[in-house]
Amino acid sequence: MNRLLNVPVAAVRAFSSSSRNLKNKVPEAQKLFQEDNGLPVHIKGGTSDVLLYRATMLLTAAGTCYSLYWLLVASMPNKKE
Amino acid sequence: MAHQAHAYHMVDPSPWPLTGAVSALLMTSGLAIWMHFHSTTLMSLGLVLLLLTMYQWWRDIIREGTFQGHHTPPVQKGLRYGMILFITSEVFFFLGFFWAFYHSSLAPTPELGGCWPPTGITTLNPFEVPLLNTAVLLASGVTVTWAHHSIMEGQRKQALQSLALTILLGFYFTALQAMEYYEAPFTIADGVYGSTFFVATGFHGLHVIIGSTFLTVCLLRQMLHHFTSEHHFGFEAAAWYWHFVDVVWLFLYISIYWWGS
Repeated sequence: MNRLLNVPVAAVRAFSSSSRNLKNKVPEAQKLFQEDNGLPVHIKGGTSDVLLYRATMLLTAAGTCYSLYWLLVASMPNKKE
Repeated sequence: MAHQAHAYHMVDPSPWPLTGAVSALLMTSGLAIWMHFHSTTLMSLGLVLLLLTMYQWWRDIIREGTFQGHHTPPVQKGLRYGMILFITSEVFFFLGFFWAFYHSSLAPTPELGGCWPPTGITTLNPFEVPLLNTAVLLASGVTVTWAHHSIMEGQRKQALQSLALTILLGFYFTALQAMEYYEAPFTIADGVYGSTFFVATGFHGLHVIIGSTFLTVCLLRQMLHHFTSEHHFGFEAAAWYWHFVDVVWLFLYISIYWWGS
């Protein structure tokens, strides 16, 4: 990877446009996700993880309530609207 | 990380099985509500929740394997068993539809004219687009094997190119099949011929789309240096699934398109 950083021109020339040579960020990710901070994997990535988790749980809770609402509506066939 | 004295993976507590279960509830009850009350909100909510669950669950598995090193040889063996068992269950799923097709076509009822194809059905010529589709999927089987060998040999550029080509062939199949569906002289409502044809080929098409998506994720992961020449099970699982999709098509082609025409 260091060689690639030193010779960016050669890296661009040696590869076709179909294989954009992205820098290898796996070692950084390994360091982040192996940090001994006690966080579970689903929020260990940072703030965006937490936001996405909260949005998902919000939809889960709201959706459950919504399905119970429709269950009540469907259980009363004589109800006129 | 080094707190365990065994090679197995004790996963962190995860919310995704719950969100996945709730999304199944919302999609199924939502389907019923759509049919009876003409509202698609509940079902759509379920679909969004399903997509969120799949994205986060599989993202976490990638983190556990590639970034945390939890996928030791015994763990990988378990994953292999899991994928094989899943594909086997899918084989049984398709077996049911083939059973339905052969049940109706081997002993055609008087209502159909006592013959197969039934009276009034104009079948598709198996040697036109369906044959091209067969060639496209067989070629994609070759390119995905090429991709595998490229990964094993550490040939990064070739791996990306052959994997991209596999995905393009998958899209080409889907586009051709969509065109065939649009131009077909019969519909799903045309008796048992229409039912067996469109349900069997329709579920197959859905699996082609799923397989293409799985391969696309592998392409992204290969670009991000996730795979090593020794350890790339995600790709192998995608390749197994893709070969399964190809084999199902071969059975469909021979049974429904060729013998059934």
